[in-house]
Formats: sequence, C-alpha cells, structure tokens
Amino acid sequence: MTEPALVLQDYSFWFKPPSGEPEGPPALKDVNFEIDQGAFVLVLGRSGAGKSTLALNMVGIYPDYFGGRNQGAMLVYHPERGLINRRELSAGERFRLVNMLFQNPEDQIVTLTVEEEVGFALENYLFPPNEIHERIDRALDLVGLQGFRERSTMQLSGGEKQRVALAAMLALEPRVMILDEPTSNLDPAGTADVLATIDRVRSLVDLTVMVIEHEVDEVFDRVDTVLLVEDQEVHGPFSPRHFMAERGLHVRDDMGLWIPQAAEVGLELQREGIHVTEVPLNGDELVNSLAHLDGHFPIRQADPGSSTNSASPRGETVIEIDNVSFSYGDHEVLSGVSLTAHRGELLAILGQNGSGKSTLATLLNGINRPSSGEVRVEGKRTTDYEFAHLVKRVAYIFQVPEKQFVRNTVFDEIAHGLQALGLPEDEVQEKTMEFLESVRLADRAEASPYVLSHGQKRRLSVACMVVAQPDVIVLDEPTYGQDFHQARNLVQLLRRLADEGAAVVFITHDMRLVAEYVDRVAVLCDGRIIFDGTPSELFSAEEVLAKARLKPPSVHEFSPKLLGEPVLTTPEVVRRIKEVIGGTN
Amino acid sequence: MAQTELSYREADSLFHRMTPFSKLLFVLSISTVAIFNNNLGVAIGLFVFSFLIAAFFTGVSLKEYWRFGKVILPFILILAVVFPFFYGGQTTVGTEEIAIRTPIKDLRWADLGFGALLGLRFLALGISGLVFAFTTHPTDLVQNLSKRGWDYRLVHAPVLGLVLFPVFLELGRDISITQRIRDLGQDTNPIRRKWIRLKHLAFAMLVLGLRNGQTQAMALDIRGYGAHKTRTFMRPAKKHRGGEIFAWAFFVLSIAYLAWKWNPATMQWNMDL
Repeated sequence: MTEPALVLQDYSFWFKPPSGEPEGPPALKDVNFEIDQGAFVLVLGRSGAGKSTLALNMVGIYPDYFGGRNQGAMLVYHPERGLINRRELSAGERFRLVNMLFQNPEDQIVTLTVEEEVGFALENYLFPPNEIHERIDRALDLVGLQGFRERSTMQLSGGEKQRVALAAMLALEPRVMILDEPTSNLDPAGTADVLATIDRVRSLVDLTVMVIEHEVDEVFDRVDTVLLVEDQEVHGPFSPRHFMAERGLHVRDDMGLWIPQAAEVGLELQREGIHVTEVPLNGDELVNSLAHLDGHFPIRQADPGSSTNSASPRGETVIEIDNVSFSYGDHEVLSGVSLTAHRGELLAILGQNGSGKSTLATLLNGINRPSSGEVRVEGKRTTDYEFAHLVKRVAYIFQVPEKQFVRNTVFDEIAHGLQALGLPEDEVQEKTMEFLESVRLADRAEASPYVLSHGQKRRLSVACMVVAQPDVIVLDEPTYGQDFHQARNLVQLLRRLADEGAAVVFITHDMRLVAEYVDRVAVLCDGRIIFDGTPSELFSAEEVLAKARLKPPSVHEFSPKLLGEPVLTTPEVVRRIKEVIGGTN
Repeated sequence: MAQTELSYREADSLFHRMTPFSKLLFVLSISTVAIFNNNLGVAIGLFVFSFLIAAFFTGVSLKEYWRFGKVILPFILILAVVFPFFYGGQTTVGTEEIAIRTPIKDLRWADLGFGALLGLRFLALGISGLVFAFTTHPTDLVQNLSKRGWDYRLVHAPVLGLVLFPVFLELGRDISITQRIRDLGQDTNPIRRKWIRLKHLAFAMLVLGLRNGQTQAMALDIRGYGAHKTRTFMRPAKKHRGGEIFAWAFFVLSIAYLAWKWNPATMQWNMDL
C-alpha cells in the first residue's frame, strides 16, 4: 500500500497578533485529513473561511515566513525518506515537495522572459544549467507552451501567464501542487486552457493536485476528493458524489457556495420526491440518472415561451455609442462600435481578456475620449459635458474595490458622495445611514474601508458610487472572486437599481449570472461588437460563442437532452421536469 | 500590462557584447568626470563622445534615444537657463565680462559658461545612462554582479523593479482616475486639493503596494529565492576582453584627469558652506 502524499494530524494555526494584543482564536482548528498520492483534491469553502490559510500552511509560508503559531503535525511524503514531519525539512526542501500557484498570475511573475520565469526556482535551488534547460523544455511542453521560451512575460495573456506560472512550478517537480483559485482572473477561454493543462499534466506526471475554487462547474467531475473548510475547521476528505449527496444543498443554501448545475437539478428533484438513481456531477450523468424515466425525455412538447429569457421591454435610451473607435497610440482597441443602453436594463458586456471591454467602459463616463465617433449620454456628447458633471451621471466601479476608496472610514466613504452633491449636513448623515443599512454595512460604519472582507468592500464600492443616483452604473467584473451568495446578492442589488430606473452596464465572465439575471448581452471580439441580443440568443449562436471563445453555462448544454431545447436556469429545468413527470413518481 | 519603458533593446553591438560590469565602469567614469569637470571643452567632448557611442556602438536607433531625450531635455534646458542666475563664481568657465543684461541680473560669460557646463553635464549623464539601460539585459546584470561577489538577492532588485514598475504605474493611474471621478478635495482651492490628492495617492499606493509586495515576497520564497547563498545561472556568463580593456582604460584616464584637475577652490559648488 502506498503512503499518503500529505497528512495533517490535529493541526491548528493561530495568526500572529499585532504587538501588545492577545492571540485571537485559531484560524485553523484541529485539522485531520490524509491525501492520497496522485489525488486531485477540491478545497471548498466560503470567502474568509480559511482555504488560503490552509494552503499557505501546507506550503509552509505560515508560520515560517509571516509568523503565527501552529500545533499538531503536518507530514509530507519524501521520495527517499517516506512520510516525514515537515519540521524536519528545510524551507527549500519543503517547497520542492509542496508548491503553490496563486490566484492572480501577475502576482507571481518575477522575471522578464518565459524562460527565466520557468528557470528561476531551478537557479535558486542550484540546479546545473544543462538540467535547467531540460526541465524548462519539459515543463513548457507539459503546459503546451512550446515555442514560448523567448517571449516576454509582459506580453502574455492572463491564461498564458497562469500556464507559465504553472510551468515554473512543474519544473521543480513537486509531489504536491496547490492551486489557489487559478481561474478566477481568467475569461472562459483562459479557464478552459488552464483546466485542460491541469488534465494533461495529471495524465503525464504522478502529481497530487489540490485546487481551491469557487467556480466548480468545470472542476467538480474532474476531482476525486473534496475537502470542505467551514468556520476554521476542515471536513473530509469526501468522494465528490458522496459529498454532493450529503452536503450539496447545505453548502449551496447555508454556506452560499456554487455547486455544479447538474448536481443542483438532481438534488432539487430528489428534494421534490422524484427518484434520481445517483446524484449527478455533470450533464451526462444527470441524463443517465433520469434514464429510468425513459419515455419522458427529451420532452418534445415544450412551452417555447418559457425556455428563453426574451428581452424585457426597454426604457428610454440613456447611452448611445455611435460608430466609436479608440486607439492607444498606434494600437486600435475599439473599431466602429455602436451600442445603446436603456433605463431599467441590465446589460452585460462579454468577451475575452483584451477584447476592449474595459476600454469601452471608460468611454462611457469620459475617462477616455473616443478617437472617432460619439458617445452620447441623455442625447448629449460626453465631450460636451464637464467631467465632474458627467461622472455624477455615469458611475464607474472598478474591478478592485480598494482602488475606489478615498476616505478613512466606511461612513465617510458614503458621506463623501452626498457631500459632493451639496446636501445639508443633517441630510448627509441621515442618508448615509440609510445607504449603510441597505448594503448591510451599518455595523462597520467606523471601520477603515481597507479592513473589510472582500464582499463588504465590493458592496461599499457600489454603494459609494450610487449614492448620487446616477443614470448609468458601469461595473468592471463586479462578481470577481466572490462566492455564490455574495455574487447573487450583488447582482440582486444591481437589479434593484435597474428597476429603480438606472441603466446598469457590467463587464463579466460569469455566464451563470448572465443567464439568470441579465436582460441583454453585447459581445466584443477584437474591438468590434459581434453580437447584441438576449442571453438565450447568445448561447444558441454557436458561431459567436466560438469566435469570442465563450462557453454557455452547463445547464444550457444538458437541458436540451432532457427538455428538447435549451433552458438557462436550474430552477426552470426542475420546474419543467416536475410538470411532466412529477405525478409518475 | 504596458511594455516596460527604459528597458533592454535587443541588438548586436559592441556595448551589447560588453559585460554589464564593464559598462557600469564606463558609465560611472563618464558620470564622475561630468560631475566634477569644470572645463567647457571637456564637457563638450564628453557630450560628443557619449553621443557618438550611442549613435554608432549600441545598435539602438537615435529615435529610441530621442523618445526619452525629449522628455528630459526641457528639464536640462531649464537648469542651463536658470542656474546661471545663481552662479557664485567658483569655477572658471568664462570671462568676467558682461555678456547679457537682464532685468534680474547681468550675466557674465562665466555665468553663461556655467549654464552650458550644467546642460552638457546632464546630457552626457542622460545619454550614457540610456546606453547602459538599452544595452544591458537585467538578467545579465544580475548574473554578472553576482559572480563578482554581490548578493544575488540584492542585484535581482532591478529586475523586480522592471517587472513591477508597470503594475505600479497602472495602480497610480487608476487611483488618480478615482480621485477625479469622486472629486476628492472638492470645495477647496487648487493647491489644497492637490495636497489632499497627493496625500491620498501616497496612502492608497502604500497600502495596495504593500499588499502586492507581500504576495510577491511569498511567490519569491516559494520559488527558493534566498534558499541558498548563491545560485546557478542557466546561461553562460558574457565575457568580452576588448570591452573590459576599454572600460578599465577609460576609468584610469578619468581618474587621472580628475586627479590632475582636482582643486576644491575651483569646484562649482562651494564646499566651504
């Protein structure tokens, strides 16, 4: 019997308290688990539950580099010495056994070319030059980046950077590789590239992989073990199916995590008393698990009206983008773009990284001016507005909320926008409290914006930009890095703002939210709009999806096998299945 | 991410073949002579020499130099025009005869000569600095200085600087946009607004920069940065005997010239202050 790759025994960890303050409660409490060699492990948990802390402990960054106290044992498998306590290894030896890839590829690039980046750790570990070259070739081959050796790291796409970082880690040939949300910064194409690369690496190299992910639809049926981090405790390991059967609805409803859409449908049907042979982890399994209901599927007599989210009636036009082009120097980013946005509408802008989405957003409130063509807000050209006036009508919300804070407390952050409107002080106080309550931050009024959790920061960044009641709200990837509850709450807040009369325009890669909430979608590809329509029209437009390398949510792919036509949301699939077969079980 | 400015330009030239240490020696020699020299003829010679080196021995087009030159040239001109009004007469760069009468001060040939000396000094410094930046690959610099006994963690800093600089610029740009969007410093006079925005920019960049820096530090640790006192290098180190002889010869000449001309009484800056 082979020894496990990693064992944690009664392991606890406390962060180093600020000087003079007592130690807080443990950040990890009595953790016990064993991971088999060669396993592919998914680590789940809501934001702030301790997933990254667990990863940084396993790799040894905590407590060795950033302090803190630990107790218990962490054993790692050493090829020559067998299972060994981590403390008996030097830092260098540990990193060669257990290594880690961070969320943002930009954070881990430390050299100027791909070759140097992949060889960097090897040079630090004193590998001889000929072996360094061999390992670089092998690692780049594993991640499918042959021919990239001489490329500048600054000219790579997000997906390519993440694959280079993966190659840099693989070149060390670690036994355990930890990936902390490796796809959260990537567009669907980049995500697909990275996941395909991990599959390829696992098929070629004996490696234990642990991946921390929020977006599990693409990952869940690939892994063979699941760990759940909840309130500083780690539960598991579970087999994915067992985990989903036992805890699927709990993690979705009580913890606010995403679960695969096929599993969601299966579990909801089970809850409704419909027999599902086993909890499915992907669309094909869902179809098979309902095979005993043969004769019902696919349902041919579907109600066509309910299967698509037809465009909601549009309010008046607020933004008109008319044949706009924009260049940075000689590089044309947007070319002949025409688009409108309307009151009461949620408009999503989709496209690959680098397709021009963020640039388009910056033209709406005058941060940038078009090289040619016109952008009109309420019929008036943006170039005819004073900047200070325009930005009050068109609010722009950055992807990284911290970039948006200008004051020292949460209260002042909201009040700042109201003061700018010239409201009397007592009204500012009153309205600020109202806003804080509406975004559930009243209890953090005196806190610094920088110490809030990621979800709180995001809510604050939206709140401080909408206090002036703008006509248009533009958001750059508002749900990035958020769990299911946080993302859904935010989109519901945007829906409310749209219903109150604003036009909401947001850039996103999150196809599930697009399918569920968005009224209209515009797709940018190489600086041109190649699609403008409803989400259901987009997900059926295969040529557009292929060109922009977009991927519909999995429910859109498996629903035709059950219902005869695509459906956009899991509640709709469940409702339709129940309608047809509910009475037969 | 934007292309890093002021970085290496790929080419095959004498200066590309020279080791980074030789080039460093050469640039240091030019800089030292340029700073301490008080002879207009030598200042012109240094400027022409560094210009010729840039034009014919670096394989980089003069257009590339001009891209940066046009940014710093106005500052150099301002120095050359403004400083003669504050010239105390410590150096001998011209006669005491009045050359130009102005409402502020009548300028002598010595004052004007001092202005020209300053301008030429900074031109020579700027050009030789660009020669070094354009022809020295940061990795070669790390390797070369490490092999000369410098701590590689220290000499890797310029590479990290080049990698992080565009990120830092982008951060600063985004925060400045935020300040404009949110009208930070509203209802105050322009000078006070500038001060409020500068304070906020410094604080926000410090907080966010430290956070990015901490992640970068973890990425470096995980990849064995500092795990050993030395490191290997995948590429063989550059060697260029001719370049080394040229740099050392230039260094010795510079020292000899300065020793010959050394006289605190005729320094531009009054050292007795």
